[in-house]
Amino acid sequence: MNGNIRTLLRLEIKNRFSAYSLTDYKSYFKLLFTLALVGVIFYAIYWVAGLFFDMFLTGGMLYEALVLVVTAIFLFMLFTGISSTIKVLYYKGDNEILMRYPVSGAEVFISKTLFLFLNQFFITAIVMAPFLWAYGEVSELGVSFYAKIPVPILLMVFINFFLSNILAIPIMHLTNRIRNKFVLIIIGLALLVTAAFALYMTIFNGMVTYMNDTEFSVFSDDMVEVIEGVCKWLIPSRYFADIMVGKELYVAYPALIGLTGLSLIGMILIIYFLYAETLLKNVEVEGSAFKHVTRNRRRPIFITLLRKEFLQVFRSVNYSFQYFVLACAMPVMVYFCNEITGRLGKDQVGEQIALGMTMLVMLIFATVITSFAATSTSREGDNFYHTKVAPVSIRTQLFAKFTMFLLVSVAANAVCAVVLYYTKQVGLEDALWLFAMVELAAIGETLIAMRMDIAHPYFNLSGEGEVVNNNASTTLAVGMGFAVAVVVGIICMFLGYLGNTGFSIELPYTDANYEPMKLAFTTDIMYYVVTAMVVIFFVGAVLGYTIGLKKAYNKIAK
Amino acid sequence: MLEISHLYKKYLNSERFSVEDLSLSLKPGEIFGFLGQNGAGKSTTIKCLTGIYPFNSGTITICGYDIQKDPINAKLNMGYVPDNHSVYEKLTGREYVNYTADLYKVSKRDRNDRFDRYVSQFKLTKAVDSQIKSYSHGMKQKICIIAALIHNPRLWVLDEPMMGLDHQSMAEILKRMDDHCAEGNTVFFSSHNLDLVAKICDRAAIIRDGKLQDVIDLHIKGNKETLEKRFCEITATEQDIINERTLLRRG
Repeated sequence: MNGNIRTLLRLEIKNRFSAYSLTDYKSYFKLLFTLALVGVIFYAIYWVAGLFFDMFLTGGMLYEALVLVVTAIFLFMLFTGISSTIKVLYYKGDNEILMRYPVSGAEVFISKTLFLFLNQFFITAIVMAPFLWAYGEVSELGVSFYAKIPVPILLMVFINFFLSNILAIPIMHLTNRIRNKFVLIIIGLALLVTAAFALYMTIFNGMVTYMNDTEFSVFSDDMVEVIEGVCKWLIPSRYFADIMVGKELYVAYPALIGLTGLSLIGMILIIYFLYAETLLKNVEVEGSAFKHVTRNRRRPIFITLLRKEFLQVFRSVNYSFQYFVLACAMPVMVYFCNEITGRLGKDQVGEQIALGMTMLVMLIFATVITSFAATSTSREGDNFYHTKVAPVSIRTQLFAKFTMFLLVSVAANAVCAVVLYYTKQVGLEDALWLFAMVELAAIGETLIAMRMDIAHPYFNLSGEGEVVNNNASTTLAVGMGFAVAVVVGIICMFLGYLGNTGFSIELPYTDANYEPMKLAFTTDIMYYVVTAMVVIFFVGAVLGYTIGLKKAYNKIAK
Repeated sequence: MLEISHLYKKYLNSERFSVEDLSLSLKPGEIFGFLGQNGAGKSTTIKCLTGIYPFNSGTITICGYDIQKDPINAKLNMGYVPDNHSVYEKLTGREYVNYTADLYKVSKRDRNDRFDRYVSQFKLTKAVDSQIKSYSHGMKQKICIIAALIHNPRLWVLDEPMMGLDHQSMAEILKRMDDHCAEGNTVFFSSHNLDLVAKICDRAAIIRDGKLQDVIDLHIKGNKETLEKRFCEITATEQDIINERTLLRRG
């Protein structure tokens, strides 16, 4: 490797891990925290994977489980590989900077390609490790299984890497073509997120059933037949599994080696004919702008502010996904979660806690949506000065931002309540009460998130002027929202349980002539207490938002 | 039109004032140049008078409206073009100008007239319905200018407006400045370009280390020619003077 390539590769790696440069004790702490978090996630995946394989073992489909897992990882790695290839190889700004240095285009390309390959290798190894570890233990194949793993992993890395390079350019063109079809993107992403979540919850549901009775097979005979049939056709991913378990090696090896060779040739041809042209044509940026012929139109100030806020989010794939897509998918997510938690609760402590469970689930999803408000000021970025020079009061401008969050949260919560009512998960009065409580909490959380962002805005935007890293306010907003959800949800469950079981406390009474008085817990107490808690939170949030708002906003000097 | 009186501005965590006891008075119908080296306090002054930065003491009035006490009316009379030509890039040029026009309560008739006139004057007719993110540096600067002028402000403030612009674009902006003043409005702009200031301004102020050093009337005979010399005298550091003497000694 020549010096330039080594330097460029080091630069790429440094750039990728710049957030973890060890300069002071804080950076060491951050690295340690990240490693600990990765460790916890790794172990959690290992544990869940073990349960997953156990479940399939009981159904006599351990091999099929491995094929399904390998297929999921293969697709995931292909997806991330394409995304990394587009970012690293074709990202215009980065290439422009590198081309200014006295290095050749080939050296830039080779260094970036090496980085991509190393990246792909490490991610594949890290993602696969907990699953394969769990599989080895469940299958009791022992050392022989672990000895067979490296070859299929290497083949998977190579094939994914070559395929990513082949698919990157067409996908870039396709993405640029649909990039400005915002409604289509939102609907598509919402459907995708909902489908993925539904699939996840179905598997989770199966696991929960299995955990309750490990002797019971969650798979019916028909389902076993379908899964076995599907797994046979999961090509090429089933060949990786075949090599791992030593099955039909005479087919698996030639097939994968052949695919490696073919994809390598395809990658070389694509790079030879299209790489330079793609860079020169600058498909990434040019294709992303659109033309939208309109007429001059006068709108009321508030409406124009609201419209601007909406368009800023709507015309960004990142923001749309973070906000609108999650809001669209929220009712389905709440339905599934409620269904499963309800079933869990039914077998354990009865239906008494069902309403509290629903409250908890709705509040958690409301938190995810409202946390977007924690970047309401930061997202202005370099355009922040507009808010200061505009002849419109800061309160009006912020109210427009708040109104957008309010409209989305009201719509999402209302649809949730309707879905819960029509699927008979809750009655009409409870649906209305849930809507009111969750909406009040969502408004409170939105106001607090907005206020935190005003106190500590984070104007460091990148790419197309978007916040790509969450700021501290977002993390705090999510933490606060979860805390509210847990506290309110658990109190609601607890009081609901007491109310439904007819729990009562005998009050101390001194006069022996009278019957002792009893304080009987009814479900009314649950409604009163939870309503009072949410109202107090709401009033606190409104006060916290309002007090000193103008002064704090004026202090921001971008 | 614009009255700045004893303005003091110190940034948080800074030990010195970025703007110190600065007073200025701008008349209707004049183009006023604001000169100074990098970090002299030009942009800070402009950001204080546009309401972007709060300031420690002093007063700023625009058309009689105090920027702190009556910011809405003060801002309604002002148009501002920033030095970094930042705009909402996800909007089209027309959407952005209409957004600004709505905030400044411009009637439909006025906005149509002005929009067509400026778009044609700045040669943006073909691009005006495209998203701003596809615009070049100069085009973004021009759309900023159109947005700043759509409400026909009495005071037009520009922070280094010619930076990075080609000759043609500069000529278009200068023409617009002239036309704007001819209508009885005032233009206040900061610049590093002494020739440009000498050529088009009625008066120019020189600022150094946050303090106003001089206000020069460029209509007085000889002042245009000596503006550069005066600027160098005011802004030169001791090291600059030593360097100059060394050069002179070497012939």
